[in-house]
Amino acid sequence: MAEATLVRQEAQPSPGGGIMRRLNMFTGILVGVVLAAVGYLIAHSLWSGDDQGPDQAVIVMEVCWVVGFMIGVGAFAPPIRWILGHDQTHEDEMYLAGENQGVWRYFKYTTDHKVVGTQYLVLAMTTFGVGGLLAMLIRTELSQPGEKFFGGQTYNSLVGVHGIIMIVSTIIMVLGPWGNFIMPIMIGARDMAFPRLNALSFWLLFPAVPVFLSIGFLGGIPTGWVAYAPLSNQAPPGMDAFAVAIIVFVASSMIANTNLIVTAVTMRAKGMTWNRTPIFVIGVVATALLGLVALPCFQAGMIYELLDRSQAASFFVPEQGGSQWLYANLFWLMGHPEVYVILLPAVAAILEIVPVFSRKPLFGYRIAVVGIIAIVALSIMVWAHHMFVSGWAPALDGPFMLTTELISIPTGLIFLAIIGTIWRGNIWLRLPMLFVYGFLWNFMIGGITGIYLSDVPVDNELHGALFVTAHFHYTLLGGAMIGAMAAIVYWFSKMTGRMFDEGLGKAAFWLVMIGFNVTFMAMFYNGLRGMPRRVATYAPQFTNGNVVSTIGAYVIASGMLIFLYATIHSWRSGEKASANPWQAKSLEWFVPSPPPLENFEVLPVVTGDAYGYGEPDSHHTTLPPVASTAVREASA
Amino acid sequence: MGDRLRTPAGRVTVIVLVLTVVLLIFGVWWVSVSLPTTASNTMKAVKDTMLVFSIAAAPVMALVWGVAYFSLRQKRHSGDEPPEDGPPIRGNNRVVLSWVLVSSLLTLFLLIWGLAELTATSATADSPLVVEVTGQQWVWSFKYPDNGGVSTADLVLPADRPVLFKVTSTDVIHSFWLPEMGIKVDANPGIETDTATTPTLLGTFNVRCAELCGLNHSYMQTTVDVVPSADFDTWVQSNGGTVQ
Repeated sequence: MAEATLVRQEAQPSPGGGIMRRLNMFTGILVGVVLAAVGYLIAHSLWSGDDQGPDQAVIVMEVCWVVGFMIGVGAFAPPIRWILGHDQTHEDEMYLAGENQGVWRYFKYTTDHKVVGTQYLVLAMTTFGVGGLLAMLIRTELSQPGEKFFGGQTYNSLVGVHGIIMIVSTIIMVLGPWGNFIMPIMIGARDMAFPRLNALSFWLLFPAVPVFLSIGFLGGIPTGWVAYAPLSNQAPPGMDAFAVAIIVFVASSMIANTNLIVTAVTMRAKGMTWNRTPIFVIGVVATALLGLVALPCFQAGMIYELLDRSQAASFFVPEQGGSQWLYANLFWLMGHPEVYVILLPAVAAILEIVPVFSRKPLFGYRIAVVGIIAIVALSIMVWAHHMFVSGWAPALDGPFMLTTELISIPTGLIFLAIIGTIWRGNIWLRLPMLFVYGFLWNFMIGGITGIYLSDVPVDNELHGALFVTAHFHYTLLGGAMIGAMAAIVYWFSKMTGRMFDEGLGKAAFWLVMIGFNVTFMAMFYNGLRGMPRRVATYAPQFTNGNVVSTIGAYVIASGMLIFLYATIHSWRSGEKASANPWQAKSLEWFVPSPPPLENFEVLPVVTGDAYGYGEPDSHHTTLPPVASTAVREASA
Repeated sequence: MGDRLRTPAGRVTVIVLVLTVVLLIFGVWWVSVSLPTTASNTMKAVKDTMLVFSIAAAPVMALVWGVAYFSLRQKRHSGDEPPEDGPPIRGNNRVVLSWVLVSSLLTLFLLIWGLAELTATSATADSPLVVEVTGQQWVWSFKYPDNGGVSTADLVLPADRPVLFKVTSTDVIHSFWLPEMGIKVDANPGIETDTATTPTLLGTFNVRCAELCGLNHSYMQTTVDVVPSADFDTWVQSNGGTVQ
């Protein structure tokens, strides 16, 4: 072994990497800030007299920041080398993959899918924290009637930025960490299909986050996260930052989604037919496809909006022949599929977890696949149920009510797969399974209340009321985010090599579940009684419900803080994990925790599906579980 | 009968039935205490629909939660090592087909019910009272074109007469909402949208903006007085209008 290392070192006198050795996140920030300042000063001096000068200056500044960051982090270095005829050597590629760089590789343009997945997890948890903090400010303001802490302008911005930060965080919270980290190992691959695009997708997302946050320093957004025109045309330059951030975020997502699809389609291990492909992979591919269809509509809407604001293009200005309904349609063409982009990966993770902790095969694998595909197909045909009260095309109320209610059938199939697997199982009530139960509770309520809203006459009463807010928090927070937390505690040991602290995790689970249900049940109540969404103050009859809601929100926050502490604590000093602590059967549990660079020494051959619990003759792979027995003996 | 109840299927059925009853009671109670006063025929349709949907939802929720709870209660393990594998049940076509059939029938029922209510509530009445509603940042104004163009900032409506609201806006999108009457439609700049109802209860109710419309959206509200027909005519005349 030592001899082999020696020979390899002799064979590579130059260590590889080239200019990438000197570039990292900090050089990216430096170049980004400098270029943004230069861009702003030039734009400001050119157009400061124009009506739209401030908007143009802000757009130039934000775009310069993103481009500058990408230059500084090294995104352009390999392609430029390629143009100049210097192809990447094997050593260059290994350097880019983060070989022998320790923790430092997380701050660089690293292509290893496990580094990218970990980066996504940390970024998602950070942005979630920011969004959660904004939620606490909103709930604090609403703890009493009257504008107590913030004026209308600040409050409206809080609501809008909370919304968009949470949407972005929830879109990336499963696909980012686990789609990148686990999915390639699960299909028996050494990396993603396009490792450099993988690094690109993360490092494009990273500079978008400060652009989102800069909204607060540029006058805010008065529109909520939907950014409806023509109110968005009245908005301060914060709106420009919002649009730039969305355009960059969507670009990042498109790159990531393409990469995920190509990886899953082309790089599955020998013998892994579609029927033997784990359901999580199916969920990731379906979601990525849905994202590719849906997200560009929002990007187009935001490009038009920027042109309206900076160049008087009047796409959405009614007085000049534009249409606010065009914007609303573009937005919801993204907006409804997007909730399934958030939900489906979490559901797929749940479907992956349930068999392991019920010690039974997944009930109705094919039914679950059909459910996922049918949800994807139907979800692009339901967008106008968000526009029932807009006045646009009343003749379409009936058809969109039909498609919306139809989607409850495939959703029911997913529920059937989950409870069919749980039925008569030997339930191993460890932390991931606890979160599965939380998901079943919350998502059932979220789903049922969605059926009320699909009904046009009922929606005419409840649209724009807190009932809607409570409903989508039950699906996206109570459903998708609890599912994402299940994924974190399930795959944590694979990512970090340590077990997630069970006691702290349970405390966090109960606080979040109880706080969540208190907060949003009270919101259902106030919504039914006629309290509108997105108001900074309210009539006295809504006080009790709001007090309860605010107390509940603080309970959620305390639970989330414990979860955050448990994550950091377990990552640093948690109990060492074996390769396969859950005795699961999918391929990621056949490599050490954490997996080495390029995952597999020998690529696995798949001979069955990953759910053969209780079936002694069923084997997912011929590869022996690596080190799991050895590690357990060593720790015992 | 006693033996049947001791099989897993029998015991879970009992749990699901009990849960169904609990959820039915809760759902009906919750909808009745939470929704605002019923001040129009539209609001009555909304309330009926919510009650019917709550009743239809109860057994579905009870089934999912009941099965999950039962399995947990029956065979629950903790500890570092997983329990033995359970029975390798990979599917059951009878269960799947019945599940699809039942959920499709439920969906069909919701759809037919919804379309019937939609047709009933959106039917245009003969000779309704026309009210032109205009939203602007951040006030509502109302005009009665058939009553000599009387205009007001507080809506006044006669009881038991169909009203047709023609809604528009002068700046951004607002949403005209009468919470106690169960109607809402967006006020769009440059476009007229319609909604209709028949007030059925005398009293003073809320008028709200339900679409975030900028700085003072929280304060964009006024009231609607529903008065007897004769009082409405008096009010119109005292404001310089004409009675039809």
